Amino acid sequence: MSTADTVEGRDTVAGPGRSPAPRRRRRGGGQRQSGAGWLFVTPTLVVLGLFLVVPILMALWVSFTDWSGRGNPFSGGVGFVGADNYKALLAEPGLSRQDFMISLRNTFYYVLGVVPLQTLLALGLAIVVNQRFLKGRTFFRTAFYFPSVVSSVAISLVFLFLFTGTGAVNQFLGVFGISGPTWFSDPRGLIHLVGQGLGLWSIDSPPSALADTQVMSLSVWDWFSGPSVALSAIMLQVVWTTAGTFMLMFLAALQDLPTEVEEAALVDGANAWQRFRAVTLPHLRPTMLLVITLGVIGTWQVFDQMYVMTQGGPAKTTLTPAYLSYTAAFRQQQWGQGAAMAFLLFVLIFVLTSFQRFVLRDKDEAARKRAERAQKRAAKKAVTA
Amino acid sequence: MTRTTRSAALALTLAGALALSACGGGGFEEDGGSSSPASASGPVDLKMLIASSGDAETDAVKSAADAWAKKTGNTVTVTVASDMNQQLAQGFASGKPADVFYMDASRFADYAKNGSLYAYADQLSDNADFYEPLRQTFTYDGKQYCAPKDFSTLALQINTDAWSKAGLTDADVPTTWEQLEAVSKKLTTKGQAGLGIGVGIDRLGAFVVQNGGWWLSDDGAKATANTPAVTDALDYVQRNVKAGNFQMSNQLDSGWGGEAFGTKKSAMTIEGNWIKGAVKNDYPDLKYKTVELPAGPSGKGTLQFTQCWGVAADSKAQAQAVDLVKALTTVDQQMAFADAFGVMPSRQSAADAYKTKYPEDAPFIAGGEYGHGPINAAGMEQVVADLNSKLENFGGANLPQVLGGFDTNAGAALGQ
Amino acid sequence: MSDLTGTGTAVDPLTQTQAVKDMRRLDPSLRPAGDGGSLVHRSGRGKKLLVYLALVAFALVYIYPFVVQVSTSLKTNADAVAHPLAVVPDPFTTAAFQRLADTDFPLWFTNSVVVTVCVTIGRVFFNSLAGYALARLRFRGRDAVFTAILAVLAVPGIVLLIPKFLVLNYLGIYNTYPALFVPLLVDAAGVFIMKQFFESIPPSVEEAARIDGTGTFRTFWSIVLPMARPAVITLTILSFQGSWNELAHFIIATDDPRLFTLTRGVAQLTSGGLGSGNQYPISMAAALLMTIPTAVVFVVFQRYFTQGANAGAEKG
Repeated sequence: MSTADTVEGRDTVAGPGRSPAPRRRRRGGGQRQSGAGWLFVTPTLVVLGLFLVVPILMALWVSFTDWSGRGNPFSGGVGFVGADNYKALLAEPGLSRQDFMISLRNTFYYVLGVVPLQTLLALGLAIVVNQRFLKGRTFFRTAFYFPSVVSSVAISLVFLFLFTGTGAVNQFLGVFGISGPTWFSDPRGLIHLVGQGLGLWSIDSPPSALADTQVMSLSVWDWFSGPSVALSAIMLQVVWTTAGTFMLMFLAALQDLPTEVEEAALVDGANAWQRFRAVTLPHLRPTMLLVITLGVIGTWQVFDQMYVMTQGGPAKTTLTPAYLSYTAAFRQQQWGQGAAMAFLLFVLIFVLTSFQRFVLRDKDEAARKRAERAQKRAAKKAVTA
Repeated sequence: MTRTTRSAALALTLAGALALSACGGGGFEEDGGSSSPASASGPVDLKMLIASSGDAETDAVKSAADAWAKKTGNTVTVTVASDMNQQLAQGFASGKPADVFYMDASRFADYAKNGSLYAYADQLSDNADFYEPLRQTFTYDGKQYCAPKDFSTLALQINTDAWSKAGLTDADVPTTWEQLEAVSKKLTTKGQAGLGIGVGIDRLGAFVVQNGGWWLSDDGAKATANTPAVTDALDYVQRNVKAGNFQMSNQLDSGWGGEAFGTKKSAMTIEGNWIKGAVKNDYPDLKYKTVELPAGPSGKGTLQFTQCWGVAADSKAQAQAVDLVKALTTVDQQMAFADAFGVMPSRQSAADAYKTKYPEDAPFIAGGEYGHGPINAAGMEQVVADLNSKLENFGGANLPQVLGGFDTNAGAALGQ
Repeated sequence: MSDLTGTGTAVDPLTQTQAVKDMRRLDPSLRPAGDGGSLVHRSGRGKKLLVYLALVAFALVYIYPFVVQVSTSLKTNADAVAHPLAVVPDPFTTAAFQRLADTDFPLWFTNSVVVTVCVTIGRVFFNSLAGYALARLRFRGRDAVFTAILAVLAVPGIVLLIPKFLVLNYLGIYNTYPALFVPLLVDAAGVFIMKQFFESIPPSVEEAARIDGTGTFRTFWSIVLPMARPAVITLTILSFQGSWNELAHFIIATDDPRLFTLTRGVAQLTSGGLGSGNQYPISMAAALLMTIPTAVVFVVFQRYFTQGANAGAEKG
């Protein structure tokens, strides 16, 4: 349906060269429009060009230099080092690669935790808030959505307070006899903790087979740490914050669901779960894939929380590529390496989203077909009944 | 690439390029590199960037700067940095740094190396009056760059209530590692560790110094962390952490040693003279005293922290900036700062006056004689940060592996 | 908005049309809910009760942090640490707010207001201009411009931190007011939203105006733009929210405390700017004060926020 809209929209405009007849008729107007058209888009082009295209080119240059923040990076005095910065991050054993790998590991677990959780929570909230019988729907929708319009700095401050060692969360857990961790200063990985809980290993003396095997500057043991307790607290916060936005997207999609289809299925005698699986879920699939895509793009860029709450600690377990790139440049004055990291992150996000777009397009088509089939089936049964 | 995409890219680039050339692109300053001081003529407006511990420090520095400004006819704008490292780095990169600023010893070498700092120490007539170790700290490549502002050292703080409750007397004040271990054991109760230690090498390093070791060789060219002098010292602390006599501050749910000490989660801690103000503000009822750190197998040792008055190489008014620094480092001015916010003068000639006025600070002053400055080789910040992060879980740290890793990383950084 | 900080992350054209559809509706959120996904439709009292219980539990999880924020800002630090869950301050004190007033907080607040107003006005004006041109005006290279803007949307905002610093510096506007808002004046997503909306307006109205000989800008300004009111309001809200909550750009655009905005100032105030020890009431008071304007705008324009969330999907 949405594709059709786009096409309609374009057609009403009749792009250049597409319909010669009207163009001939309005030649004078066309010239005036041409001037006005360029005039209208010029501010946008200048700002985007100046603060997007040009900076990217500049940073690309800097990522091939050893500029240390002194003097003009575009003058002859700056050393051109070729791909050295990229090599230090990817190919050469050393601290730079270790830190970059740690940041990738952290963010990988972060994405893996946040995206499914926020999608499910958003879907669940949307379905419940969408119930017809519910009183005070607006209130609940507002309550769930509000955190996502509030500044991440403000929310981070509140969560810092809630999650202190003797804070609200731990006091609440204490009611149930659970003694909570010192959240933001606990670097232990969740997988490590679970393994220890199951008696598989002890965190203080990890199995040497895992601890002594190094892959890309990190031991296997470190790769499979899972998100640290500190990172998990941030993940909870982010899920809590963003689920509201995605809930609204799901809500919009749910409200687009043709009532007739639902009624047909109802007549069909399908129970609630069957209806949900056969009708609602296929209908929601495009939205869900969109939510996941946006989630992945957003989570890989996580920066604010690290800047405000943990500065990468404890024990580097909340280091992310975005934050690491920032500190490399703005604190350690390794601008080349910082810029190189930013580009690698760019490429990574680009590849991930391209991949997801590919999947999205495919599934979208498939989902629509499936939904159509289901609708037809349901309608047919309704008629025969 | 389709035709549309290509012309699209072209359109954007052109727009950007046009705008850029229109603006001239004059933001980046070229490196002047001259050694004679840049001296703007006429009255100048100096920018000063400080990292303040609070209103007392800010006000004291401001009034000192104003006094100089009034006398010389210039003006000084004092700015309090909220994130010193970032604001300095960003200022240098923008080519418009502050003229005068606090320069921390641990970051000094990096800025000296990349030419951000103006070396003016040779213009100070009474330079030799500054403590020798402090001057060394601000020396890069054989050249002292700046005048030490003040300094602080680590000492041992004892909660006197807990002390007498454990049946200890003045005669029991520890002077050796064995005694420290023994009193810590006695002071350890349920809910209170004997000794609480802040996380990282800025505290643990004191034990290393007491054992005659250091992370780098004396000339700063080689990493020497994985040597017995270092490992044995850390091993001593780790043994006691595992035994429960010592606890790291993060085990005590505290941000630093002073917090654990103030909240009585530890009966002793190792901090510098900044703890005086913290206790006064946050834990006014706490009764405690400060003594020198116990000596290790190689004698007395502590860590020394210091900052200097940095002057920017890009400053347009270096002569005036140096003149301001001279005014800020007189004995009288240093004593005024000491009165206002409790820092210790960096001049030997001010030591007696300070000791008379603040006898309880004698243990800190004493550390000036045998204290070791921070790691201040260029390119080491990342390496030190990595070491600290690996020592966060100190009780469980695999010391030989961590220290070996430090040597490898430091070796790579120093070799550059 | 939280972690989705991109000033222009990838956009999916499909959703945009969805968004426009939403906007065209008077208010989708007020429409009676469809039966879609009503799991407990015609189900028993027990199930309804269960749904209500779950909702109330979740609502508590969502509202309680804000309650804690308000009450903690009126506590003493000792009280806040000892009774973090308590709602009623004991003793009641406004010391945290007084302390905040002594810092640069008022300055940051002013800066934030100025920047937000500039950015919002700029975005609404420039984005509608460009969106209109791309939707309605015929000019050579239009498709190319549109493709370029689409391409720009794919750039994740956070990787631009270092690049933007370099260019601000190169232009010599680093550490100036313009550095704070000029780079934010236009966003590709906004252009996209406006373009989509203008395409949904029947062209007949402006055709008439054009035949009457009305100038292009007049047509745009006095005929088309008023018709785009819902889209303009949505864009206003998105711009307000985006610039009020922006942090990363303000970090790299200045190191001069006189130019700090709320997000930047508060983030640093509470991480050491207050001296030793945590001062929870002060940080909660700061968080509260920076949330209030958002809350006011949110309450006033609530239904447009709903549309904004969908229209601004790419902004998160």
